[in-house]
Amino acid sequence: MDGDNNIRGRKNIIYCIVSVLILVVLLFPIYWIVVTSLKTEKEIFQIPPTLFPQVFNTASYAAQLGNGDFNMFRSFGNSFFISICCMLISIVLSVPASYGLARYRFFGRKITTLSFLVTQMLPVSVILTPMFIMFKNMHLINNPLSAILADATIGIPFSILILKNYFASIPKELEEASYIDGCTRFSSFIKILIPIAFPGVVVCGIFSFLYAWGDLAYGMTFIQDQDSRPITAGIFNFMGQYGTKWSYLTAFAVVTIIPVALIFIFMQKYIISGLTSGAVKG
Amino acid sequence: MQRIKKFFRYDNVGILFVLPALLYMLIFVGYPIVCNFILSFQDVTVRTINSAVKPFIGLDNYVKLFQDSVLKTSIWNTLLFTVLSLVFQFAVGFLLALFFTKKFSFSKPIRGLMMMPWMIPVTITALMFKFMFGSNVGIINQALQALHLITSPIDWLTSPHSAMFALIFTNIWIGIPFNMILLSAGLTLIPKELYESASIDGANKIQTFFSITLPLLRPTIEAVLILGFIYTFKVFDLVYVMTNGGPVNSTQLLSTYSYKLSFSLFKYSEGATAANILFVILFCVSLIYLKLVYRDEEAA
Repeated sequence: MDGDNNIRGRKNIIYCIVSVLILVVLLFPIYWIVVTSLKTEKEIFQIPPTLFPQVFNTASYAAQLGNGDFNMFRSFGNSFFISICCMLISIVLSVPASYGLARYRFFGRKITTLSFLVTQMLPVSVILTPMFIMFKNMHLINNPLSAILADATIGIPFSILILKNYFASIPKELEEASYIDGCTRFSSFIKILIPIAFPGVVVCGIFSFLYAWGDLAYGMTFIQDQDSRPITAGIFNFMGQYGTKWSYLTAFAVVTIIPVALIFIFMQKYIISGLTSGAVKG
Repeated sequence: MQRIKKFFRYDNVGILFVLPALLYMLIFVGYPIVCNFILSFQDVTVRTINSAVKPFIGLDNYVKLFQDSVLKTSIWNTLLFTVLSLVFQFAVGFLLALFFTKKFSFSKPIRGLMMMPWMIPVTITALMFKFMFGSNVGIINQALQALHLITSPIDWLTSPHSAMFALIFTNIWIGIPFNMILLSAGLTLIPKELYESASIDGANKIQTFFSITLPLLRPTIEAVLILGFIYTFKVFDLVYVMTNGGPVNSTQLLSTYSYKLSFSLFKYSEGATAANILFVILFCVSLIYLKLVYRDEEAA
């Protein structure tokens, strides 16, 4: 089937060249910061700019290993901790919830699904101020838990809506067969359904991680102590103080992108499936 | 007894699975939304935040904000930012989607790689473009000067006339992959037989596009535009990092203005009020989206 519409021959080559050109133009900004992070401060300000570093300068990265004004690696660790915890919370809560929504037609099912859909569209600003006051009263300001709890509110509705489709697509007979084999409803959920829906769980894990990793608003508002801030908030702070130190800033940016790029390279098919099924079908 | 039994019949047990997530969202999203409403009718500032009694002032915050010109500017800016971003993101995303649904050797891997701008943390994107839009060493000014399109560098982010343009440009860059991938997904759903029979009937490419592609893609287009509107309308990080609403409020959006009121000026109630205005607008748009989702579900 697929082979029928494939473009071949010279037309194929032209299309490939055009697509590479589009990619080069679109991804140029990313190339540009990677290159800049490897230049010396002097070369960055050179006119005309060099498209490739004359000498590879890794000093901007090495400088972060010592104790500077902004410890990039500690912030990286903070972000990693926050994102992993946020991912765990959203998986633990959304796997059973999506199963419940997909399999049981209980009272209020539709309105519950809709409210998860609407929370996905909520602006951060609406809950930021009351949440700040709430965490202040709970003495959670400067505690990573505040960012974790807040970030999970983005991951959970997204995960539920994605996983709901996965669970709904699993034939009911499979579950019924497991009841005959002596499974209870709960053990069949754990032993039969979760393994089948596992690709969906991976998608949700990735997205919950990435949402938390990319968050700025919650992290910088709830965690004001520079040592416990996530990396995005740390970078923002550094920009405010040393706005023109681009060799450092671009190095921070590259380090922040690395986990995203790794996830992207190894799990691309999950990401694209998650994006399309999550956003359109809801 | 009968009633209790009836409640625990098969289907209602499902609630128990949903309950933990639902409670979590009620505590950390539902409750704050209610608080935000209440807060907008009170007078809570840095002085009264710790006191037990918070003065109730009715609609004063709303009246005050609507008399203030910055709020009007923010609403206008938010609309301008959203509509312009949306138009270009959609147009470029659509063209790319049409191009990449053709089956050539590189189509799949390159389409995948083009998702990168959408994946990068927005803070980093903002930093990246702030660097590129820099007045003196920014690559954009350098390139424009080398091409003799401008004679002296433009102060992209520090001049009130061009800052909004730079922000919209950056936001378009972020949004292109999102539009492209959703529209490609929609395009692959159109049955190929339709195109074949159209070409047998002698329709040219433009006719095919307007009488087959566009009508059949309508549900996807609607979803992409409305979701795009919602996601763009609430943008915060990008603007906060690149311009923080400046210079002189020329890029102040509802989201950044609300943040400024709450966390720079410590007028929590006024910040909550601005956020509420944003919320009400988005809620109305979400209702349109939900109506579309429902319509599609019934049709399916």
